[in-house]
This record gives sequence, C-alpha cells and structure tokens, in this order.
Amino acid sequence: MSANKGEHRFGMVIDLDKCTGCGACSVACMSENNIGTLLDETDKIRSITWLRVYQIDNGKAFPDTQIAFIPRPCQHCEGSHGHHTPCVSVCPATATDYDETTGIVSQIPTRCIGCRYCVGACPYHARYFNWFDVPWPKGAERGLSPFVSPRMRGVVEKCTFCYHRYQRAKNKAFLEGGSVGEKDYQTACTEACPSGAITFGDLNNPKHKVHELAKNPLAFRLLERLGTNTKVYYVSQRDWVQRKLDNYLAGEKLPVKAAS
Amino acid sequence: MNWDRRAFVKFAVGAVVGLHASPLIPKLMDDSAIWTQNWSWVPNPEDGGLAFANTVNPATGTGVRVRLIKGRMMGERIIRVEGNPEHPLSQGGVVPADASAVQLLYNDEVRVAAPLVRDKKTGMYREITWQQALDMVGGKLAELAKAGKAHTVVALGDEADSIHGQILSRFMAAYGSPNLAFAPRADDTLALAAWALTGQTDVGFDLMNASYVVSFGTPLLEGFGAPVAVRKAFVEWKKSKGALVQVEPRVSVTASQAGTFLACKPGTEALVALGMAAVMAEQGLADESATSAYGYAEFKAALAKDYNPKKVAELSGVPADKIVAVAKAFAKSPKAVAVCGPGPGGDPGRLADFMAVMALNGLKGNLGKPGGVAARKPLGLKALGEPANVDKPRLDGGKKGMKPANALALAQAALAGQPYKAGMVLVAGGNPAYAGPQAGVMSEFLSSAPFVVAITPLLDETAALADLVLPGTTFLEGWTDCRSSYGSPVSSYGLARPLVKPYAQAKTVGDALLALAAKLGGAVAGALPFASVEEALKAQTAPLGDLAELAKKSYFVQDKPAYGPFAFKTPSGKLEFHSQNLAALTGKNSDGAALPHWEKPAALAHGDGHALAMAAVPSLRSATGFQPLTPHMLKVLDGNTLRHKDELVVEINPKTAAEMHLAEDSMIVVTSAVGSVDARVHLYAGAAPGMVFMPTGLGHGAVSDAYTLGKGGNFYRVAEAAADSLSGLPTWGLTRVTVTKRG
Repeated sequence: MSANKGEHRFGMVIDLDKCTGCGACSVACMSENNIGTLLDETDKIRSITWLRVYQIDNGKAFPDTQIAFIPRPCQHCEGSHGHHTPCVSVCPATATDYDETTGIVSQIPTRCIGCRYCVGACPYHARYFNWFDVPWPKGAERGLSPFVSPRMRGVVEKCTFCYHRYQRAKNKAFLEGGSVGEKDYQTACTEACPSGAITFGDLNNPKHKVHELAKNPLAFRLLERLGTNTKVYYVSQRDWVQRKLDNYLAGEKLPVKAAS
Repeated sequence: MNWDRRAFVKFAVGAVVGLHASPLIPKLMDDSAIWTQNWSWVPNPEDGGLAFANTVNPATGTGVRVRLIKGRMMGERIIRVEGNPEHPLSQGGVVPADASAVQLLYNDEVRVAAPLVRDKKTGMYREITWQQALDMVGGKLAELAKAGKAHTVVALGDEADSIHGQILSRFMAAYGSPNLAFAPRADDTLALAAWALTGQTDVGFDLMNASYVVSFGTPLLEGFGAPVAVRKAFVEWKKSKGALVQVEPRVSVTASQAGTFLACKPGTEALVALGMAAVMAEQGLADESATSAYGYAEFKAALAKDYNPKKVAELSGVPADKIVAVAKAFAKSPKAVAVCGPGPGGDPGRLADFMAVMALNGLKGNLGKPGGVAARKPLGLKALGEPANVDKPRLDGGKKGMKPANALALAQAALAGQPYKAGMVLVAGGNPAYAGPQAGVMSEFLSSAPFVVAITPLLDETAALADLVLPGTTFLEGWTDCRSSYGSPVSSYGLARPLVKPYAQAKTVGDALLALAAKLGGAVAGALPFASVEEALKAQTAPLGDLAELAKKSYFVQDKPAYGPFAFKTPSGKLEFHSQNLAALTGKNSDGAALPHWEKPAALAHGDGHALAMAAVPSLRSATGFQPLTPHMLKVLDGNTLRHKDELVVEINPKTAAEMHLAEDSMIVVTSAVGSVDARVHLYAGAAPGMVFMPTGLGHGAVSDAYTLGKGGNFYRVAEAAADSLSGLPTWGLTRVTVTKRG
C-alpha cells in the first residue's frame, strides 16, 4: 500500500473517547502557526482553523443523548494506489506536495496561485483559502512566531503536522549528533491536549507509540472507503461514533464490533 | 555596421536567446511571486534567540511554559504559551485560555497604556501620568477620610487570597472601610460546607484514587478546579476502570463520558444526594464513623421522613430504583467519593447543596481516606497578616467572620443608600460591569457612584464606567500568585513573575495599591510596609525558600494528599450532621435548619410567571465569569454557538421547542426578571425539557476589540443572582425566564 520511499511515515492516533472537546489543540495550533481571527468567525467558509473540532451526537432523545468530538487536522493522505493524494494530484503550481521521506503533505503558500482546486479536491475540508488578509489587531505582530510565515490573501493553507518543528528537530539532531527521537518532534496540538487524546509519531517506527496504537482493531480512519489512505487514525469504543465517521449503509455491520 | 533587416533579425534572435539563457526570467518570476506576497500589511515576525521560561496562569491554575524570542529590533517578546511538562499537576497540557493568553498581552486596541481620565459627559478618555492619577485618587481618599466617610469607600477585588487580594484587604482595613468584596467563588461555599460538618475549611476530593465517583452537577471535564490537572487525572483514572455517575439536567461533556447519567430536574442534584443518603442510612450501609457522629439519629430520621427514594424520585425525576442502585454501589465501593460544585457559569453554588454532598461523604466514611475527601495540608506560607478590624457597619449588614461579603448586596445597599451611599468605588481586578454578580445591578452601581477607579489591563465594560482607569498587567508581565485550585486534594502554590517588560505604563494591582498607600501615608502606609509586590511575595514565600528560585520553578505542589485520621475541629470534636457551627452562623438551630437539607432553589420557587429555567453551558472553549474571551477562544466555540453572525444561540430541547412553536434558528428573546437578551434557538436533544441553556463569555459591549465586540448576548445580564439563604453569597445557577418569538 505504502508509496513511501523514506523511512518515516508520520501520523497521528486520536482517542475520541478521551477527547472532551475543549479546543486546546485548535488554539495551540493557531498560536503555533500564526493563524489569525476574522472579524466574523461565524462565516465558516472564510474562517481558517487548521485543526477543527467537530461535535457530533448519537441522535437519541433526552436523556439518552450522547455527544462526541472529532478533532480534524489535515489527514495527510497517501492515496491507496501508489501515489494519489487528492490535493497534490490537482495542484497546477506544485504548491502542495507529498513528501515521500516523511509522508507529510506539504503546503508552500508562496507558490500557491490561489486556484483552489485542492480545496475542492480535499474530502475532509482541511484546506482553507485566504479570501482576505488577516485583520491582525494593532500590536499583535509581537506575539507572532518567526518559525511560520504569516500568509497573505489569495493563497491556500492547511495543517503541516508542524513541519517547522521537524526541521528544527533535524537541525538539532544534526548539530548534536544522533537522530530525531519521538519526543523531539511532536506537533503543537499533541503537546497541548490536556486529556492526552492525541498521539503523534512515526507509524513506521515500532518504538513509537502510534505504531501499536494504529493497529488497534478499534482504530479507523475518516471516509476510509475513498481510498485516501490517510495517516490520522481515530479510536473509539463507541459504535455510534464509528458509524458516524464513514459512509456506512443502514444496517451494515462495522468492520469491528466495538466492545460493550 | 549597417543597420539593415538582417542585422535587426540577428539582434532580435540574439536578444531572445540571450534573455532565455540568462537567469533574468526565472529570477523575475521568482521575485514577482515573493513581491506579490510581500506587502507591508502582512506581518513579518522577527527572528531571534529562542528561550523558554516557566510560569503559571492564575486564572486556570495551569503550569505553563512560555516561548520567548529575543530579536534585535523588537526586543524580547512572548510568542507562545504552552504547557509545562514538568508541572506535576498539569503535565504539559493547556486549555484554550492558556494557549491564547498572548492575544491579551499584545493587542494595542484593548490594552490600557496609561492612566486615563474619562469625561463623564462625552465618555472620552484623556491620558494623564501615574503621578497625577495617584494625586487624584489619594486626594479623594484623604478628602473622604477627613469628612469621616472613609467607610463609604467600596472595593471590589477578584481573588481574596492572592497577593494582590491580601494587599487590597490590608489597604481597605487600614484606610477604614469594611466594604470589600471579592468575586464570589465556589471555594467559599465548599469551605463553609466542610466547616459546617467537620470544622475544617480547606478540603478537596481525591478523585484520582477513587474507584466510584458520583458528581452532583459538577462540570468535571468543563472547568472544575484546575481544568488541565483534573483531566490529566481523569484519563489515568479511567484507565483503572473507575466508575463515574453524573447527576445533572443536561447532557454535558462530563455526562457523555460518565458510565451512568442520572438526568434530574433543575436544582435537584443535591436532593438526589440526600436520597442516596437516606438509602444508606435506612439499609445500614453508613460507615461506623458516621453512625457515631454528632446528630446522626436526628439526620437519619429526617432522611427517612423527607428524603426517601420515592419522594426524591417524585421531585427530582430520577427513578427511585436508580437512586437505590447508585446508593448501594456507592456504599459498597471500597473507595467512593461524592463531588459537588462549582455550578455552571461560575456560580458559587448553594451551601445547603454542598452540605448534602459532604454529608453523603460523611456517611460513606471517606474523610481523610485515599479516594475520599482530603483535608489539604497548609502550604506554610507566611500570609501578610490579618487585616485590622474596622468598627463601622458594612453596607450588606454582614460582619467580619466566616461569611464572605456579598458584592451584589453591597451594590444594592449602596444604590438604595441604606445604610449609606458609596463615596467612591475601587475595582481592583475583575470586570463586575460585565460578569456581575448580576451585571445589570453592578453596572448601575458603578454608573451612579460619585467616583470609580478601575485597575484593569483591558478597556473592558468596567473601564467604560470608571472615572479613572489605571493600566493593569496580565500574568505574563507582573508578579502574581495563586493558591490550590477548587476541589484539588493537594495543596499547591503557583507563582508568576514578569517575563517581559510591562505593557506601556502598566502596573500590577498590588503595585498600584502600594503606590497609593505610600501617597496616603499614616496607618495605610504602615499596614503595607513593602516597596513592591515582589517584596511582599518575598515575605510571604520565605518559608518555601528563595523567591527567585521559586519563581523560576513557578510552582510548589504537595506530593500527595494528607491521608490519616481526619482532624475534626467542630464544637463536639466529631463529624457533625447537626452542625453547631452552621447554627451559630445562621442563628437557626431548630426544625432541621442545621441539618444537611434540600431547599427548592429560590429562582424556581418564586417563578415570577416565567415558564422556563435557564442555566449556563459550562465549557472550556468559552470564558467564564470576568475572564476575558480571547479571539482564538471565540473562534473555537462549537459550530452551533457560532451559527449566526453576531447572534447568541441558546440550547432548547426539541420537544419543549415544539410545544412553544419554535424551530431550529427561531429568533427569540430570553427574558428574566432582571434583563433580557436576543437569541436564536438551537435544538439540542441533550438539553433537559423545560430549560434554556445559554453560553457564557459572549455579548461584550465596551471592549474596543473588534473580534468580541457585540458578538452574542451576555448571560450575566439575564441571570438573576439571589443571596443564598445560608451562606449569603450570591448564586445564579438557575434563573426563571420567558422565551418569546421576535422578528
């Protein structure tokens, strides 16, 4: 299945039963990656949230209602037949690319010509177009990180698995000798989560926690049937949560019957 | 050379070939890609040396680590607030309020840069110097003191036991005014409940080691105590297969994560606790330590009479068999604990409710045991000392003692001029004009007071009503501290130091008060013999070691709860179900008034002709109380809350909505006895029928921040605060409201 030529395949396992929907991951992501706020954030077509937390419920009446939260970063699709990441395959400007050494789908805003084909191609709504310049409040530039360039209007942006952190970790490993360990490269959302619901690491490396976690029979991916072969895995014991996250037909059995 | 046709063609071909061979075209294309994206209005953050520093966010109790960049042009600046992995309680996690704290530090549009005098007629601000500001306030205070009206000065603070709160207490006492109130907190109610039953005041719940937890309306995963620490513990706890029972009227995040959800009618959580207590007492499941406690027989008889499962089931809507089953499981579990408060929307809770839950813990006999209720070890800090007694009547009629002052009662009494009017108001932290208690009354009080001084880092609603605004600091730029969080079984102390230079002329609340004290001289200066807050902190933390060392580490946390025999400090020296402490406090000793009991919430009892009960939605995504809402927090509010531009969205049960001919997105007005707000309807199946659930933290009016200005409506404008019959603290857990269609 894997098109990866390199040794790494960075991915994420999110335990939906631990997620309490507090939004810390999303805010940490915005702060890490210099994402601004629009004056009207109810306009979800223009709002930019690389990691968005969705809320779902089981559709039952009170008091049997249950809710769950789905944190959704870019899924970093690999494509099932060799090499077919939906957004990468449509980009005419090579502004987005599949890095075969890490499995990360990159995004280079300065190359982007703003055609938005990738936005249309992404089945996860993980790509965002800057319809306007970000209205930074006066003085806000002092709080911006120099490690990620702020974007301008007319370009697309998305989650990069905090690639700048990987670059930093690689530099550090090079200078100090040795290699990039599991703790050296973690995304901002993973660090921030107060429930420890997000685990990040190299899916190919048996020493990394995600390697085992992704093999959990309860682990699944979003819209798996599309053959996007993503690198973000979700885990939930709850039957209804699993059912809501893929296109199951009515009465169709889940691949794994959730315990209890 | 002749310039003929051939020469021209040769030149043209040569030029084209040459141009293509040169790097000019790719270079120009590359440059144009950069130029077209390199506009002056796209910020270009300066690079520099990266450094890390530990601190603590006093608003959330989270141990955080700050990323600092030191550049040549912009100097040292904070670019991130992230978790501190070394902090034993928060272990590297954060909540949105922590992660977006930088947005409040660097925002010239909302920060107060210099002391501002507001023209009452035009509302325009005029900048003055600190010296002029201190002269102005000092002059007014001296004038009032000279006229014998020192006691008419009212001060409102945020945290009583922080260093700034202590300085404020000493300042007010030395100046000669008893009228000081802090933002009401559930910590006060829990301390009173514990004091009533055990004589101890500093207690917590050892959730981590409990195998069975029954939570009575407690938002365990949505803002209980130090939210990060609680959730870190919750995940570990869940791994060990602990069982959680949630009792509340709304399917909250906690209820969704609980193994058992007991949906009760609004305000009846504690009634279910008493129902469980009745089952335990009747079936002989109470611990030995409880049966020998003071007033057990009387309590048992009252339980059998008023709180048998059948009666409780009728009133609370929770089936009797479920109450019996949970009570039995609770009694039989080796380590079980019952948890109470804080109420949604920062409500400090009702003392009777907290006492009922503490009594359930008493019956279980879990006091001082692992997985039970722990008395926290004292931190060993050297507090600045008890403030002097002021021999003047307090506005709300209260006396110094266990009962904390009620900010709302102070305001109401001052508004009525009974027993006297306020001569001056000093708001030192917090935002009472927005968050109340009862924002409408507090706003009216501030607008009618003759002179209002507000020390605040932001141009908030309170600043908009103040005559003089003094620039305050955030926790990233000034000394501040915080004590153990609500409900935590271990004592902890957090210390925040200035990591960057304060914004413009900002000073901490404590430093501003110290400067004012020096200006006034006399007894006030004598009570505060410190040159700065740092010096006061040095004196306070001396027993914990060097201040600089402690500040670098930023926290002191007791390693484990203090287990062992529980030291009862009651008059009888034992656990007291018939509380002699409470009887002395309220002056009521008969008719079961001193027993743990349930009272129908005042809001539901009088009704005022309003049909529905309103409560706040607890959430870590939104701001609670006076904490400001950051732009990033606003952005991550859930999709239903952010459905309509600038409009508030409230949750109503689909059945209730149908009965009222309301549908999804219906435009409504939510009206209570104290205020009304426009909203839209979201049909949420998890909302109890007959109720309206409203998000908090929205509807800011005065802040000039374009992100939060005019977004939604303010819960605290509609919520009606009523003084609790026992504690005297304002409570706003439930409000009767009417929902009418508009548009």
